[in-house]
Amino acid sequence: MFVSLTLFTLFGKSARKRTTSMNHKLGIDVGGTFTDFVLLDESTGEIIVHKCLTTPGDPSDAAVDGIQELTKRVPGLPQKLAEVIHGTTLVINAIIERKGAPTALITTEGFRDVLELGREIRYAPYNIFAEFPEPLVPRRLRLEVEERIRADGSVLTAMNLERAREIVGTLPQTGVESVAVCLLNSFENPEHELALKKIIAQACPGVSISISYEVLPQIREYERTSTTVANAYVKPLTEKYLYRLSDRLTSLGFKGRLFIMLSSGGITSVQTAAEFPVRIIESGPTAAVIAGEYFSRLFELPDMFCFDMGGTTAKSCLIQDGVAGVVPTFEVGRVQRFMKGSGLTIQVPVVDLMEIGAGGGSIARMSQVGTLQVGPESAGADPGPICYGLGGEKPTVTDADLLLGYLDADYFLGGEMQLDAKAARNAIAEQIAEPLGVSTIQAVWGIHDLINETMAAAAKTHIAERGGNPKVVTLAAFGGAGPVHAFGLARKLGAPRVIVPPNAGVGSALGFFTAPRAFDLVRSHKVSLQEADYNEIESLFGEMEAEGERTLRTAGVTDEISFLRSVDARFVGQGSETNLLLPEGAFTTLKPEALRRQFDETYEKLYGRTYPETPVEFVNFRVRASLPVQPLQLPRLHGKQASLQEALKGERLAYSGLAHDFIPFTVYDRYKLFAGATIAGPAIIEERESTAIVGEDATVTVDEFGFLWIELKGNDKRVP
Amino acid sequence: MITKFDPITLEILWRRLLSIVDEADATVARTAFSSLLRDAHDYTCMFTDRQGRELAQGTLATPGQSGAMALGIKRLVQSIPAETFRPGDVYITNDPWALAGHLNDICVFSPIFHKDRLAAFTACVLHHSDIGGRVASDNHDVFEEGLFIPLVKLYDAGVENQAVMDLIRWNVRTPDEVIGDIRSQIAANHVCAEQVCQMMAAENLDSLDDLADEIIQRSEKSIRAAIAKVPDGIYRAEGVIEQMADRADIVIKAAVEISGSDIMVNLEGSSPQVDWGGNVVYNFTYAYVHMAVKSIFDPDIPNNDGSVAPICLKAPEGSVVNCRFPAAVAARMQIGHFMTEILYRALAPALPQRVIAGSGGTPATMNVFYGKQSNGRPWHSVLIRGGGTGAGCRQDGEQCYIFPANGANTPVEILESDTPLIVERRELLPDSGGAGKQRGGLGRRVVFRIPDDEYAPEPPVNLGIQSGRFRLPPAGLSGGRPGARAQFLVNGEPGNPYGLTRLQPGDRVTMDAAGGGGYGAPKERDRQALLVDVQDGKVSMEAAKKDYGIEMDL
Repeated sequence: MFVSLTLFTLFGKSARKRTTSMNHKLGIDVGGTFTDFVLLDESTGEIIVHKCLTTPGDPSDAAVDGIQELTKRVPGLPQKLAEVIHGTTLVINAIIERKGAPTALITTEGFRDVLELGREIRYAPYNIFAEFPEPLVPRRLRLEVEERIRADGSVLTAMNLERAREIVGTLPQTGVESVAVCLLNSFENPEHELALKKIIAQACPGVSISISYEVLPQIREYERTSTTVANAYVKPLTEKYLYRLSDRLTSLGFKGRLFIMLSSGGITSVQTAAEFPVRIIESGPTAAVIAGEYFSRLFELPDMFCFDMGGTTAKSCLIQDGVAGVVPTFEVGRVQRFMKGSGLTIQVPVVDLMEIGAGGGSIARMSQVGTLQVGPESAGADPGPICYGLGGEKPTVTDADLLLGYLDADYFLGGEMQLDAKAARNAIAEQIAEPLGVSTIQAVWGIHDLINETMAAAAKTHIAERGGNPKVVTLAAFGGAGPVHAFGLARKLGAPRVIVPPNAGVGSALGFFTAPRAFDLVRSHKVSLQEADYNEIESLFGEMEAEGERTLRTAGVTDEISFLRSVDARFVGQGSETNLLLPEGAFTTLKPEALRRQFDETYEKLYGRTYPETPVEFVNFRVRASLPVQPLQLPRLHGKQASLQEALKGERLAYSGLAHDFIPFTVYDRYKLFAGATIAGPAIIEERESTAIVGEDATVTVDEFGFLWIELKGNDKRVP
Repeated sequence: MITKFDPITLEILWRRLLSIVDEADATVARTAFSSLLRDAHDYTCMFTDRQGRELAQGTLATPGQSGAMALGIKRLVQSIPAETFRPGDVYITNDPWALAGHLNDICVFSPIFHKDRLAAFTACVLHHSDIGGRVASDNHDVFEEGLFIPLVKLYDAGVENQAVMDLIRWNVRTPDEVIGDIRSQIAANHVCAEQVCQMMAAENLDSLDDLADEIIQRSEKSIRAAIAKVPDGIYRAEGVIEQMADRADIVIKAAVEISGSDIMVNLEGSSPQVDWGGNVVYNFTYAYVHMAVKSIFDPDIPNNDGSVAPICLKAPEGSVVNCRFPAAVAARMQIGHFMTEILYRALAPALPQRVIAGSGGTPATMNVFYGKQSNGRPWHSVLIRGGGTGAGCRQDGEQCYIFPANGANTPVEILESDTPLIVERRELLPDSGGAGKQRGGLGRRVVFRIPDDEYAPEPPVNLGIQSGRFRLPPAGLSGGRPGARAQFLVNGEPGNPYGLTRLQPGDRVTMDAAGGGGYGAPKERDRQALLVDVQDGKVSMEAAKKDYGIEMDL
């Protein structure tokens, strides 16, 4: 399968004057199935999108092929590229498929089983046969050294260097290619870990080393060990791949800078990504979120909910005041898909994405109690939904969407694939409607409605947990199935508005060009808010900022670096922390009373009340080091006000959830819509990769950038 | 007004109820104070219809609390005249006989009103790490065990009853923590109530009655269908549970009668109640009987009033599994947790593929350390832990989990930063998993030391323990061998796990959790699996020879 298309063109202004020779930027996103390319010509604002199959053996093959394809359309492209920004699923796949390097772990005597014991909670309390993930390092490769640091960082037992050398000396014969070091309480005092790092480097040349103090200097030994081990496990392979990609780009004639997308939403240098590969674990889906942040700021929408629905999963993220949340923890390789707690814990800053098993391929069936179930199992792309005619036999969400009239059997992927409605209808009638004792149309609508309900339930919890309100968010719909389901989801959330960016199927890739060059650092250090030595904290921040600056400079940049400081604080003895953004300036200029007030205000906003009489302590100190964001001008729609008649494709019957019946929807060609066009629902707006559904109680306008703005009537009146 | 629910609408609304409870559950996690809550998830949120029938409970609910609550909340709610409930009422109680079997489990519940009519109840039970009293298993009656809060109103139509708060505050050691945690329970119920009302408004429901009937009936039908597949008959098992050194072992006799889709569990003939804290109230016995039945027959359907309907429990009053007030009950899990294992053993001949061997995490081990830090500030820390789980016919036991209860450990680094304790080791115990075709999960050793240098706390440091398996190890099934026994050592010498242990700076405490029982004959064990165990140091070469009859040469 090979697809290549130009999305929309022109009238964008170059944001920055550059030498005319290097005025392009290229985003390359290597996904499980496809590698996506987005090329931006900064001098014209023109964007070209290209897609080809991922080459799992060596993903840089697809990257190089893609650039060569694009070069056919933009002669001399490699020389014209100022930046290549790269996102990849390499790291996460290596962990899921257990394809990392043979790895050893060195830890404090008495604690080699921390990695295997984990947090000891059964994630499915009533399922006595629930499986748990195998640790990435088997017990025989978990070695112990005699040493001990106390909780306050003082040395309880000095490291037995002689024993340590002996133990490290046994490593070469085990064939390990990578070593993780995680000692108890090392986040308060790294001296023993640093000593081990030296010993390993001397005794085992060529073996890569990851020490917890550098990967994640944060309290909680299981989480820190697991993260450090995961980093070590994927380091050799990531390093090899990134440097190979870099070399191949150079040999094509590329002279610009290569950046790697971080899971936290920033981009970083190849060196940093190779050193801390665990930081790029979720780098793929992050681009959509960054694009969302950009749209949120551009359109001044303070509460936005990004909703990216593909074939297997839906990924969502709440954006508040133009900023997506970043959470400190992530779970990978769940033994039971979508079961929280059944995977390996990795603590790295990750964009606060919620992923649930709801996609176009989600399978519908009858449950044990005789009700309808949809997902989380998915037919994926192969065999896919029944209507694809590729051998799928189980009814899916896409089959229902087709039968509801939302998809056009003759214009799927621009008409490239003919859909089989009859087969889909028969299967739903036999497998769903009949056993449930409902009509076929009830079953078809039920599949669509239930998957929306599943997503809405998850979204409500996600939004509420972040102190947001689902009734004020603007939904930004991405992904192939996103615009098909966004309207129904918005209705369930009570959200007043949906926006659909141009080319929502791939539009998320714009995030590559707006991603900040940023790096997040964290250091655990538990001290009382009232009694802490603020000078000591200032020097801690100073150290972290120096480290952040060093990291960013490896990308060869000279721009001014800005630092955003924050602290995680909690009531003494409380379980989870609340993050407080700190004002600019030295920590020593801050007053404990003011910080206390800020804590109480933040806490109250999140949890409804606060307890001023209970003392507060700091737990983690955080710094985000970043370079200025380069402004991006969205390409504008060209052409004059035309008549809607030209964009009109016709009319078809589609299902209305309000009328509980099929009603005529007007169908439009999105590529022929113009700025200022206004359409009253019910309407269907079709583009190649997706279809936007607009109910009869909504209107759509098209803005100057080609975004669809779907305003839901009634919802905005439902004030909570 | 919708009066009947098609299976699609029903699923949508059912799902919404479950997500409402999970949201309430998350509220507790985010606002609670004590480490037991945040790390061990020792609390349960649920809600019922207006008759007190359970409709939904949190996904990660602790089986002991959730099973007991399904019964307890229904009785409490029905004991209060329906017309006396008012919006803004908040009830509180920790009556062990009414709810979850010991004083530490405080329940807070509220009526939910919709359009001025009673629509439902929301409840949250939470294990408070401190409820005052003498923290030990060998108390003689419930009065020694701490503060007893009878069913009272904490808020009367929205007005706080300050006297109740003060009464609690002055009867516990760490009042800020306890009051803070009660507030987080109130917050969870508030979130639940708001969401239920929003759902009723959005769906134009005047009452939840029809929806409740549907959910309950369908769940009941599902579990009944699974029970009906088992041949009718009476399946028996006996459990022997050790108690304090100078007392006779406790015997639990279980006769499980399956007739059609009904399951009757009769505990006639079990030992009489005891003069220490191991006594189990009816509700808590019921909870772990329910855990056994649910995990065998219908683990995937969310719990509600329907999933308990086929189960009938007969436990003689005055016995250790249905004790009378004012028996001491603080250590009720030491006996109550065994109910699940005993039922598994009874049903193993009929359903060998649906049960597992004895687990080292039965009963859960609880350590309560408390004392004063060097600066005089009081500290109090509760640690709960499990052991190796029993093997099943297709898989080895896992290490280490609390079973049949549930909970997470407290990270060593958190414990050390919150208390003066040093943890010297936390590691798996080789050869502790019962040998078998499928090996039992390994037990685990934890070693604590009280510092005696400038970090030394004010002596003494008090240690209260609830545990078991010191003499009688977790049994194997179908020819599998038992797992290793538990151990409690103070400075290398066996300590008394039933009393309160007073420790001095420099003392070292070793807690070994038991390993799980094996399943099937050891000689049938796959050689490759045994080799990996030996390479990983989970089975020693000596044990490979002795228990499995195989000489290993690495």
